[in-house]
Amino acid sequence: MPIIVNLDVMMAKRKISSNELAKLIDITPANLSILKTGKAKAIRFSTLDKLCEVLQCQPADILEWREENAD
Amino acid sequence: MWSKDKSLSLSRILVWVLFILIPVLCFCVPTMVHWYDIVYPEGVGLVEGSVYFPLSATLYVSAVFGEVCLYHLMKLLDNLKKEIVFVAENCGHLRIISWCCLLVAIPFTFMGFWRFLSFIVALAALFFGVILRVLKNVFDKAVILQEENDYTI
Repeated sequence: MPIIVNLDVMMAKRKISSNELAKLIDITPANLSILKTGKAKAIRFSTLDKLCEVLQCQPADILEWREENAD
Repeated sequence: MWSKDKSLSLSRILVWVLFILIPVLCFCVPTMVHWYDIVYPEGVGLVEGSVYFPLSATLYVSAVFGEVCLYHLMKLLDNLKKEIVFVAENCGHLRIISWCCLLVAIPFTFMGFWRFLSFIVALAALFFGVILRVLKNVFDKAVILQEENDYTI
């Protein structure tokens, strides 16, 4: 999928662990892992809202669009 | 009080009973067909004469498909009991069951040349196979939706 999830980059910038973030945004570590690894099919606005609030960033900092076969 | 769990258990019991009953009935096929040949010697069909061989062959072939069908029904019910519903595995089971129904129509169509009445059985099997095929297509879509739902965070 051409949507890239840069959650791990933001997490590294904010120096926050997966378990901590999962607890703060009220989702399971397994679901956070799905999101981080790019396996997720969709993200709810409510989840995105919480992520942005906790990580103090914009949605564009977490999600990125790249053209397919752009290598 | 009747519940969904009891209904599922009843389905499983019925499937098991049929699964055991079919091989038992297979042993009785020669006797049953012989009896049928005596009671209804003059049936309506294109081919005249005894139906002993064609009817026996039809019943044996159908029994094989029936057993395959019941085996997959059991697997399907096992998954339902484990609350595993909209998964690709279940679609596979439904696909096989549907094909079994469609294939059962073939021997009964041939049998129709001896007894026209068999065409009705063939048509019923065909109809049932098509219904199951549509159900399988619905399940295919449901699997995609379930997957999307599971992977929506």
